[in-house]
Amino acid sequence: MSHARGSFGRQLRSDLRILFGRPRTIALLAGLAAVPLLLAIVLFVAQNSGMAGQGPGFIGRVTGNGLFLVIASLFLCLPFLLPLTIGITAGDALAGEAQTGTLRYLLTLPVSRTRLLASKALTSLAFAVAAVFLIATVALASGGAFFGLTDMTLLSGSTVGLGSGMARMFGVAAYVALSLTGLVAVGLFFSTLTEVPVGAMAGTTIVAVVSSVLDTLPQLAAIHPYLLTHHWFDFAEFLRIEVNWSVLSSGMIVQLGWVAIFATLAWGRFTTADVTS
Amino acid sequence: MTSTAHSRRSFLRSPWVVPIAVTSAVAVSLISAPLFASGDANDLPDITAEQLMNQVLDAEPTAMSGTVVHTARLGLPDMLFTEATGADPISLLGGSSTIRVWTDGEQRSRAALLGTMSEYSVVTDGAEMWTYSSSDDEAVHYSVSDADLARLEAMSDEARAEALKRQGELPTPQEAATEALTKVEEFSTVRVDAQSTVAGREVYQLIVTPDTDETLVKRVVLSIDGETKVPLRVQTWSTQDDTAPAVEVSFTDVDFSMPAESVFDFKAPASATEREVVVPVPEKDGTMAGSDVQHEMPVVTGTGWGTVVEFKDLDIAALLAKDPASMTGTTDRIIGSEEAQKMLEEFVPEHSAGMGLELGALYDQLTTEVPEGRLLSTTLLSILATDDGRVLVGAVPAETLRTMA
Repeated sequence: MSHARGSFGRQLRSDLRILFGRPRTIALLAGLAAVPLLLAIVLFVAQNSGMAGQGPGFIGRVTGNGLFLVIASLFLCLPFLLPLTIGITAGDALAGEAQTGTLRYLLTLPVSRTRLLASKALTSLAFAVAAVFLIATVALASGGAFFGLTDMTLLSGSTVGLGSGMARMFGVAAYVALSLTGLVAVGLFFSTLTEVPVGAMAGTTIVAVVSSVLDTLPQLAAIHPYLLTHHWFDFAEFLRIEVNWSVLSSGMIVQLGWVAIFATLAWGRFTTADVTS
Repeated sequence: MTSTAHSRRSFLRSPWVVPIAVTSAVAVSLISAPLFASGDANDLPDITAEQLMNQVLDAEPTAMSGTVVHTARLGLPDMLFTEATGADPISLLGGSSTIRVWTDGEQRSRAALLGTMSEYSVVTDGAEMWTYSSSDDEAVHYSVSDADLARLEAMSDEARAEALKRQGELPTPQEAATEALTKVEEFSTVRVDAQSTVAGREVYQLIVTPDTDETLVKRVVLSIDGETKVPLRVQTWSTQDDTAPAVEVSFTDVDFSMPAESVFDFKAPASATEREVVVPVPEKDGTMAGSDVQHEMPVVTGTGWGTVVEFKDLDIAALLAKDPASMTGTTDRIIGSEEAQKMLEEFVPEHSAGMGLELGALYDQLTTEVPEGRLLSTTLLSILATDDGRVLVGAVPAETLRTMA
């Protein structure tokens, strides 16, 4: 058993090294990190024009307090950029290996298919967490550099100190990262279905987009609470005078449901599939 | 894929059993969650409608906090009240809105209307009130003049509460219940219905049915907390719609402990635009002291649920045209540097309402042209603005107003 566990650790380390060493991953992360930086520059240049103080999702507040850049950037990346990059990494996890013909060799290692899948899942999840916290960190740094960090005015009109503001921003980033776990599981499942990575990548991104479209249709109000993306923007809860944890935990429970279903589907598929390439 | 050698017999040992079991478990927990929430049999002691009503009206206000969901199905076009404007009381006219409330049971309370990325807060402390809108970053301070304050001190508790009723407050089940119960005595039939559960608490249900068929209100169902006698849900059913209540105000969670002190404190944030409004306190006969605008007293026709109020000499067009910018809040959004402000003023005509809901357009969209003027007809309330400057309002069918006009 200890032998197998050691090999699982090796497998995970190797997967992480390959993913984060890949030029494509670095390019994706660099692109995501550019969002808060570009946003900060644009807002800095435009702050003396008539457009100052306008824009959705706190963008208008960034010039007054750099802390808001964290929320503004996550708000901008969450609907499309983050699902897209997660689709690329999670969708590629197994389909990519299958396409290049390396999956066969992986299966000859003394690691069970279950552990191989777990390692791929954790690696894809690590990318999602890294992406979110990278955006948040770059936003905090560039927000601080361009606009300064001060006490934070909440949506409720109360003002909290910088320390509490930072803690709340950490909460926002953590909530957003955890909100993406369901999508990672969906991507992993798609990745077990095909040997064409692009198919799995596109499929994963489409699931996120379709889910947010369905979320806007009032006729489907009955299923809204269970949609993958429905609770994504509940991170605004961290900006209210009393954070209602039951709102946040209901978002997490929905993600848990999606993870449970799609992780086991991926497992069912991967452990039964004939790997020919 | 599985080869043909796999037979049905080995299916139970196949790994696919696991995802199927997990998916079914998730589905079952989804379906059963609401069933468990409302399935309990209640064992509150029996009570008559009379006793219950009196207990509700006499109940000591208690400290509490909770989440209220307000759902309106007034038959107005839904798309007007989407998130586009952020958290704004106008969104209460259609669809579902979530309001979080806190009260210490005495003088202080806070209510917050939640938008996805915005919030509209109302913080009350005795005679003082603050509203704060996060989308406009504007804080409005409502207070009364020193003279009025002295007069308020001299009043009885009830008179003071009456005088302090202001606009801008957000709806709660308590307010809706009190309003319905004040109409009860003369004009309605009241009965106690089967007990139920609201927000995880056992409740009595009180059904108030208007004695008249002149009104659009079919019945009002009040759900009263069995222990504290606080109304936790009020449903107002319209004669026009049998499937769902026209307006429902309901707690989804409630906590009867004292909220944190910090919730009741409000200081306008440094960045916000501040506005001071001194609210005149009405004299005992209802006229406004110190108000130089002389409104003609409205004419009240009918009694109880069928009451129609007629306001005279209202120039709707002028009201709508009057400073549209301040009504849609656009001036507050345009606060750049001085030169930017100047540039804007050159390019933007005085009366442009800019983005957001334009009031005149909204009025045109909501009302329909009738021979008597313009009519706003909802499932609970009809408003007729006649061409000669009268406005008739009542919880009656539109035809009633038109024949009266």
